[in-house]
Amino acid sequence: MNQEELNNRLTEIKDKLTAVEQPADNRIWLTCEAENSYEINKFLFEEVPLRFVIATGIDSDDCFEVLYHYAYDETGCMITLKANIGDREKPAIESIAPFLPGAEWIEREIHDILGIDFKNHPDMRRLILSDDWPEGVYPLRKDAEKPVSRPDGEPLTRPTVQSQSPARRTVPLSKPVVVVGPFHPLQEEMEFFQLSVDGEIVTDIDMRISYNHRGIEKISESLQFDQVPFLVSRICGICSASHPLAYVQAVEELAGIKPPERALYVRTIITELERIHSHILWVGLAGHFIGYDTVFMWAWKYREPVLDLLEEITGNRNNYGNVKVGGCREDVPNDLIPKILKELDGIEKKMEMITKAVLDDPVLHARLKGVGVLSKADAVKYAVTGPTARASGVAIDVRRDDPYAAYADLDWNVISQPEGDVFAKAVVRLLETFESIKIVRQALEKLPDGPVAAEVKEIPPGEAVGHVEAPRGETFHYVRSDGGNRPVRHKVRAPSFVNVPSFKASCIGGHIADVTITLAAVDPCYSCTERLAVVDNNKVIHDYDTLLQLSREKTARIRKEML
Amino acid sequence: MSWKIWSLKKSPWVFHVNTGACNNCDIEIVNLLTPKFDVERFGIKLVGSPRHADALLVTGVVTRQAAPRLQEVYRQTSKPCVVFAIGACACDKGIFTTGYHVVGPVDKIIREVDPNAIIAYVPGCPPKPEAMISGIVQALSVL
Repeated sequence: MNQEELNNRLTEIKDKLTAVEQPADNRIWLTCEAENSYEINKFLFEEVPLRFVIATGIDSDDCFEVLYHYAYDETGCMITLKANIGDREKPAIESIAPFLPGAEWIEREIHDILGIDFKNHPDMRRLILSDDWPEGVYPLRKDAEKPVSRPDGEPLTRPTVQSQSPARRTVPLSKPVVVVGPFHPLQEEMEFFQLSVDGEIVTDIDMRISYNHRGIEKISESLQFDQVPFLVSRICGICSASHPLAYVQAVEELAGIKPPERALYVRTIITELERIHSHILWVGLAGHFIGYDTVFMWAWKYREPVLDLLEEITGNRNNYGNVKVGGCREDVPNDLIPKILKELDGIEKKMEMITKAVLDDPVLHARLKGVGVLSKADAVKYAVTGPTARASGVAIDVRRDDPYAAYADLDWNVISQPEGDVFAKAVVRLLETFESIKIVRQALEKLPDGPVAAEVKEIPPGEAVGHVEAPRGETFHYVRSDGGNRPVRHKVRAPSFVNVPSFKASCIGGHIADVTITLAAVDPCYSCTERLAVVDNNKVIHDYDTLLQLSREKTARIRKEML
Repeated sequence: MSWKIWSLKKSPWVFHVNTGACNNCDIEIVNLLTPKFDVERFGIKLVGSPRHADALLVTGVVTRQAAPRLQEVYRQTSKPCVVFAIGACACDKGIFTTGYHVVGPVDKIIREVDPNAIIAYVPGCPPKPEAMISGIVQALSVL
């Protein structure tokens, strides 16, 4: 379906809409009343069908708005549906989560921060705010006072495993539960997973976030347009080139600024170097989680030259702070190009070695194939992006679908695999590293001369979206300006926000030992097996010896399958 | 010097606590363990439980949800325990100072449970691995 056919499809719902705008070929803004939003969303997601990106809640002066952002990847079109909620006292709208599980989290988030009620939502517990957050305080409302930090000296409640928090699901005691987090030896960050298990099989998974919630969207409203990139580069240290780039592209679209050609190439080089080091990092950690520490040490060793290059170009190993509205802050010096090319050759050789070591290893095949499968249908339903989607056969990539920076001028391939298991995800990431090296090489060759920044005068009132393919998937930013020097609303959707809920599809039904690598960032500790006994009605049915016996039998079975 | 401090300084085992960081300081901490920086040659080892730790490496602003958990982790460490506030956020909340969900910085939250806690600061966004090694060495040498 090309852009024209898509436009024709959208006219089918014309009489339910109050306004349609199309500022550019591949940007469409629809407006409707809250009552019609459920039907229109269902049409957009199921009939057209579009990929759900995220929803944004906004407190406008006289009403609340919920913006549903969709993407049509074949033409790189971004479609936004605006639903106005007039009732300020008791704002409510129909939930779209029943047919679109990928929207479940964002509706919970909007409920937390703006107090909009989503009718018929399957699971309206608290998501993003802390357990002790006062009821009825919505931090992103414009009239919210700035309480909100904890008063000095007020004692903190000591957390317990069975917290009374409304955000945590209580499970009947007869059902065995394995909790992971919030601090865990192999977890980089705090998250909390509650796995319900039946024997070794995971029957349900529940997640609690909020530990890392810093309120960046609110802080952004207090910063000037030019200061925001420094803030958003600190959303995630590993995507610290992609977030500012997505934001900057949104602002440039809003103000109609065209950055100079050289700036586009410099942006491409920085984001691809970032992708290389991020993918190598993931391969290393994945090796660590399955107990293959050689890969971990190798990968992290060979990642160092990339960080050194980034430091030489931008001045910092991470948090580059290089993108600004209208261009870049730092140029890639021409005399550095031979050095970068030489380092890339070295990295490529080492990556070939690691790739062979990983892809030709029969043990890794046995360990990773068929584990944590995310089917193509689930990938669409949960609206996952990036390598997670591409490993499930959904070949979407913002760099190709809606080209930004210099990607349209360069020759490279989108890597995808149909299987959807952990092995496919490893393959996608490893092969993408080579594509990235290819992109950087070409960009350095074609690097045009000229300035790296255009002059920016004013940011006019309006709204725009920007999206970028970060190492983990599509990073999406929405910016609204009222003509002042600060954004009035800045919505950020990091790729993990849609990728993490897909654990529900990939972990359930799997073995508990596979959850480790399926969650990839989470490694439950089972070294205490010798103290484990499976108890049923106070009668020990498996003790240590029988468990050891079972484990040996399974190893023998797997060995037979491998040969 | 008490024998407890003396024994702490030899081969300190560290536990890593993220209290709302952007992952930058965290990957740089993991970087310390890998071949280029390799702090294990100094006997510094990352351990899986706060009960085994001589030092906590705390990164991040301390969000409202993380604060009581950080205190609980600190309670569980054997004392004396050195707390390293790593990165600008952990030292003084950095760019997130005005955030509504931020209750840090680290020293304030730790001092609520132990007013005499030993706290060392390694600023930077993120501090380079060399800076972290230098910070740890300096802190241990003044104890």
